[in-house]
Amino acid sequence: MTTVISAGPGHEPGPARRGRVRRLLDRHWYAWAMVLPTVLVLGVLVLYPLFQGIYQSFTDLNETNNRDLICTQTLGGGEDCVPNPDRAQFVGLDNYVDLLTGERGHFWLLLVNTVVWTGACVFFHYTIGLGLAVLLNRTFRGRSLYRVLLIVPWAVPAFVSAFAWKFLFNPRFGLINSLLSNVGIDPVDWFNHRWTSMFAAIVTNVWLGVPFMMVAILGGLQSIPADLYEAAEMDGATPWQRFRHVTLPGLRPVSSTVILLGTIWTFNMFPIIFFVTGGEPAGETEILVTGAFRAAFEGLRNYSLAATYGVLILSMLVVYAAMYRRVLRSKGEVW
Amino acid sequence: MSTPVVFDAATRVYPGSTTPAVDSLDLEVRAGEFLVLVGPSGCGKSTSLRMLAGLEDVTSGAIRIGERDVTHLRPKDRDIAMVFQSYALYPHLTVGENMGFALKIAGLSKAEITARVTDAAKVLDLEPYLDRKPKALSGGQRQRVAMGRAIVREPQVFLMDEPLSNLDAKLRVSTRTQIAALQRRLGITTVYVTHDQVEAMTMGDRVAVLKDGILQQVAAPLELYDKPANAFVAGFIGSPAMNLGTFRVEDGAAVIGEARVPLPRTATAALTESEVVLGFRPEALEMVAGYAPDAFAVEVLVAEELGSEAFLYGTLEGASLRDPQLVAKVAPRSVPPKGSRVHFRILPDRMHVFSPATGEALPTA
Ligand SMILES: Nc1ncnc2c1ncn2[C@@H]1O[C@H](COP(=O)(O)OP(=O)(O)OP(=O)(O)O)[C@@H](O)[C@H]1O
Ligand SMILES: [Mg+2]
Repeated sequence: MTTVISAGPGHEPGPARRGRVRRLLDRHWYAWAMVLPTVLVLGVLVLYPLFQGIYQSFTDLNETNNRDLICTQTLGGGEDCVPNPDRAQFVGLDNYVDLLTGERGHFWLLLVNTVVWTGACVFFHYTIGLGLAVLLNRTFRGRSLYRVLLIVPWAVPAFVSAFAWKFLFNPRFGLINSLLSNVGIDPVDWFNHRWTSMFAAIVTNVWLGVPFMMVAILGGLQSIPADLYEAAEMDGATPWQRFRHVTLPGLRPVSSTVILLGTIWTFNMFPIIFFVTGGEPAGETEILVTGAFRAAFEGLRNYSLAATYGVLILSMLVVYAAMYRRVLRSKGEVW
Repeated sequence: MSTPVVFDAATRVYPGSTTPAVDSLDLEVRAGEFLVLVGPSGCGKSTSLRMLAGLEDVTSGAIRIGERDVTHLRPKDRDIAMVFQSYALYPHLTVGENMGFALKIAGLSKAEITARVTDAAKVLDLEPYLDRKPKALSGGQRQRVAMGRAIVREPQVFLMDEPLSNLDAKLRVSTRTQIAALQRRLGITTVYVTHDQVEAMTMGDRVAVLKDGILQQVAAPLELYDKPANAFVAGFIGSPAMNLGTFRVEDGAAVIGEARVPLPRTATAALTESEVVLGFRPEALEMVAGYAPDAFAVEVLVAEELGSEAFLYGTLEGASLRDPQLVAKVAPRSVPPKGSRVHFRILPDRMHVFSPATGEALPTA
């Protein structure tokens, strides 16, 4: 505090810094003024709830203690308010400890479910999307019709598809079980086992998510110069080798983006699990977001626990995205 | 060791089009020869080359490489290498991997691939860049990688489609001599496509001129220059271009302005109309001081003085040329001023006579 190491003559830190800020403001005030509305809107809509949520995860906030004041109507028509003696308390890391040790909720079950769910969905989204995109990238009759048809799942609201698929998987009236019995396989009680139930949800979500991947990859395919394929053909590459050495590397920028996006979206894909399995059997197919929802809106509404789920989900995704980026970097991808 | 290539009435009609892009092309490329395909844009040069490469189906006719009929073979079975105009380098592979890709596909051993790639890199001055990605190279270096990718394969035939068009003018000049020298050294039969007639004249052993999918003439560069088979070739080859014009014929002489230019008897005998197309290169014009019966007057519009030579651009009085301007090569450092009126005559043995109906050259001797 007492010694200031001066970097050189005429370089006093205080005034010089203030001068620079001043100069920046002077010179760029117009730019600052232009970004201000965006900053405000983002602050109100994103940052404030985010920090609010993070704060709540360190409290014991729930529906019984969410008021700061308790107000009673007085005879004169006014209100008489006193501070709530039981209002939410700061509890430190209690929520995190409870969740991670399994004291409350089933965090680890939900995490395993989420990882299986996300991995399976993204894998099939990408591979099926890639296959369809490669097929649709050739010229054949009725190509545009197929393209439109394959985009339909995307155009239907997710919950509508979810109900439709739930009905298809219905153990007694569903089309899938009747098809199975037609080929001589015993009908499956889909929603009575953890993994068959999860399977139904994954099939539904794959059906929903493939169009996006297909369209994105189709765009990527069309950006690969045709003469690369011709050069590979001249170099003697077979169709498979051309796919390996021209198509896949050419798609890498698109693939890396859509896989990251797909992972984040699927990780947080609420409606399919909620409407198709509803957690059946007995909560064994819940994923983290549906768990957070149930904590917040079912039974005793435990907002702080839901917020804790939220913070954990956010931090996992942030870590994932950072690692993903690093891996891509090491492969020489500019990203 | 080198192999000839034969186009035998090869025709390509693109689906959905009624006129052929290449119309029954008959062309023989001799073993070890550097043949240049040249012509204006859209004349079917790339299509011809791609037919030979196997990238484009042959609608009718045949293509042979050496003894083999390759008309329906796939590109990889033809033993040819191609340099693309865009270079088509694999962006995710290094320079070395790009050059070795075909060898790797062909299943050569690692040691063999490395040896061949290093050899090619040495020839092309690419050794310092072998580990770089194409993105990190200049245009000229990329061009050399594309060449390297072709030469490591030691194919029977090289194909190049305008490989220099992405380079700047100066680099183009130096690269074109390098490519020509490299081809002479390797002795591999080469078909080279360009729309630049200077490239064609300087690089080719022989030059094939195409127009609208039809082969106009194949000949050594100088023969093409001196004895064009028709008015199109005459006007296409040479820079500045040959002066071409249609003139009336009276008593065995062409009427150019007030001048009467006698035509060779063989030409007039072959002429069926009362008009003739005359062609004369800028250097076939001689300035005459006074009056001469075969000299015509020209009004000077622009004089281009280049130091070692000079060109006059002017309008021919009393006659019309295809190109409204007439170009004449004159002695440098004593160029008549703009706006002056000078007389020229055509050196009789340097005149080209073409039929106005067919454009074919008429015999002059
Ligand atoms: N894929 C195609 N489908 C239909 N027509 C085509 C196709 N490719 C080329 N053509 C037509 O065939 C003709 C010859 O084309 P080509 O590409 O061989 O010309 P080029 O001589 O290489 O011209 P440039 O110097 O501009 O490259 C052109 O009229 C062109 O429009
Ligand atoms: Mg071309």
